[in-house]
Amino acid sequence: MTETTTPTDARQPAETALAGESMLTAAEIAHQYGELSVLESVNVDVPSGTVTAVIGPNGTGKTTLLRILLGQLTPTEGTVEYTGPAVDRPIGYLPQQPSFRPQFTAAETLGFYGALLGRAVDTQTALDHVGLAEAADRPVEALSGGMRRLLGIAQSLVGEPPVVVFDEPASGLDPSMSTRAFEILADRAAEGTAIVVSSHDLGLVERFADRVLVVHDGTIAARGSPRELMAETETESLWDVYDAVVHGGDQ
Amino acid sequence: MSSAGTQFRALFVRELRTVVRTRVYFLVALGVWALVVALVATGGGGESGYLPAVVDLLLPLELLVPAVAIAVGYRSVVADLERGELAVLESYDVPAWVYVAAIYAGRAIALSAMLVGGLVITAVLIALSAGPDTGIYATHTGVDSPVLFGRFIVLTVLYGLTMLGLVVLVSVVARSTRTALALAAGGVVLVVAGGDALVILGLSEEWLTADSLFGALATVPNSAYRGLVFETVVGVASGVENGYAAARWSALGLLGWLAGSLVLAVGLLGRRQR
Repeated sequence: MTETTTPTDARQPAETALAGESMLTAAEIAHQYGELSVLESVNVDVPSGTVTAVIGPNGTGKTTLLRILLGQLTPTEGTVEYTGPAVDRPIGYLPQQPSFRPQFTAAETLGFYGALLGRAVDTQTALDHVGLAEAADRPVEALSGGMRRLLGIAQSLVGEPPVVVFDEPASGLDPSMSTRAFEILADRAAEGTAIVVSSHDLGLVERFADRVLVVHDGTIAARGSPRELMAETETESLWDVYDAVVHGGDQ
Repeated sequence: MSSAGTQFRALFVRELRTVVRTRVYFLVALGVWALVVALVATGGGGESGYLPAVVDLLLPLELLVPAVAIAVGYRSVVADLERGELAVLESYDVPAWVYVAAIYAGRAIALSAMLVGGLVITAVLIALSAGPDTGIYATHTGVDSPVLFGRFIVLTVLYGLTMLGLVVLVSVVARSTRTALALAAGGVVLVVAGGDALVILGLSEEWLTADSLFGALATVPNSAYRGLVFETVVGVASGVENGYAAARWSALGLLGWLAGSLVLAVGLLGRRQR
C-alpha cells in the first residue's frame, strides 16, 4: 500500500471535502475473481473525522471493497494508499461475524489485542464505552451474539487507529444496541477518526453517516451526504435514494 | 512500533492459556500417561528395566505420538481462520512467521508435557520396581541405565515436535476444522506408513541398495525416530558395532521435516493473507 495514487476518475465526481484531511485513498480500483468482475474503476477517499457509509445490495462488491481498503486483498488494478499518521495500527477492523477464543474473558480478549501492540489497554473503560462493563469477567463463550459484536467494536478501536473499517456493525443487534453501535462510530468520527462502515440499516446510515457511497454493479453508482443524495434524486429518505439508484425507483 | 518479539510473546501466552484452559487437552494428557504406563506394564513390566521398557514402547509410540500431535495441533490455525481472527490479526500487522512460530511454540510445550509426563511416570515406576543393576547412571555396553531412558524421552519429544510441525502445516492449509482433522490424519498416515512402504518397495524393486538404505530411512520421520532410538539407546547397551541407522542423517531428517513444515506453513499463510 505504498504506491502513489492516480488522479480522480473523470467519470466519477470529485468528492466534497466534508471534514479533515484524507486518511485513505483508493484510486481506479478494479477487482476480478477469475473471469467475474466485481469492482470496476472505483475511487474512494476516506477523510478524517467523518463516517463514510458503503451501502448496496448483497453481492455488489461491498465486502470486496472493504477488504481492499483494509489491505487484505490486492486489487486486480488500481492503488490504495494510507496517508494518515505513522502509528502501530493504522486501520482497525470489525469483521462481519466477530468471534474470539471462547476460553478467555471479554477483558482478557481486549488485553490480548493491546499486548499485540505492546500496550496495556484500560479494558474496563474500553468495555464501558461499548456497554459491556458488567461483562468484563464473563468468558466469551458466555456472551450473546450481540455482546460479541460489541466486544468486536471495542477490539476494532484498540490502539486508536486513525481509520476504522466496520463490516455490518449493527447486524444481529436489537434496535437500541444497533443505535448504540452507530453512536460509538459517530463519537469516534467526532474525535477525528476516519470511519468506513458497510450497513444494510439505511435508517441508521441516514442518521449517522456524513457521506454515503452506493455500490451497485461493481461501481460507485452514487455518492454524497444523505442530504445531497436526497436532493439529487428528489427523494425524502435514504431508502428512496437507494431504491432510485439500485432499482430505478421501481420499488 | 510494536516489535515482533512483543507480538510473539502475546500470541505465545494466549496459546498456552488456551491449551491450559481447554479441558479436553487434560483428558488427552491423562489418556497418554495411562496408556504409556499400561504398555510397559503389559509388556515386560517395570521390574524388567529401562531398556525392555523402551523396546515395549517404541512401536506403539511411533503411532501414538502422531495421534497426540494431531489432537494438540489440528485446530491451532484453522480455528482462528474460521472465527475470522486471522483477518483481525492482520489489522495488527502480525507477520505470518511470528504467528506460526507462536502457535507452534505454545502447542509444542503442551505436546512435550504430555509425552514427557507419561514417560517420566514410567521411569519413576521402573526406578521403584526394577533391580539394582538398572540404577547405574552411565552408558556402557550391557548396562541398563536411566540415562538411556532419558535419551529415549528426548528422541520421543523430537519425533513429536516434528509431527506437530506437519500438523500445524495442515492446519494452515485446511479451510475448516473438520477438513483439518481429516487432512492431518491422512497426511500423517501417508508420511508414516507410506514412507516405510516406499522404503520396502525400493528394496524389493532394487532401486534402493544397502548403501542408500540408511539415508532413505532417515527421510521418513518414524523410521528416523526408530533408527535414532536403536542407534543411541538400544544399540549402546547391546554393543552391536555395525549400527542400526545413520544417527546424524536421521536427526537431520527429523529436523528437516520440522523446519520444512514450518517454513511452508509460513509461506502459505503469508500467501493467504495477501
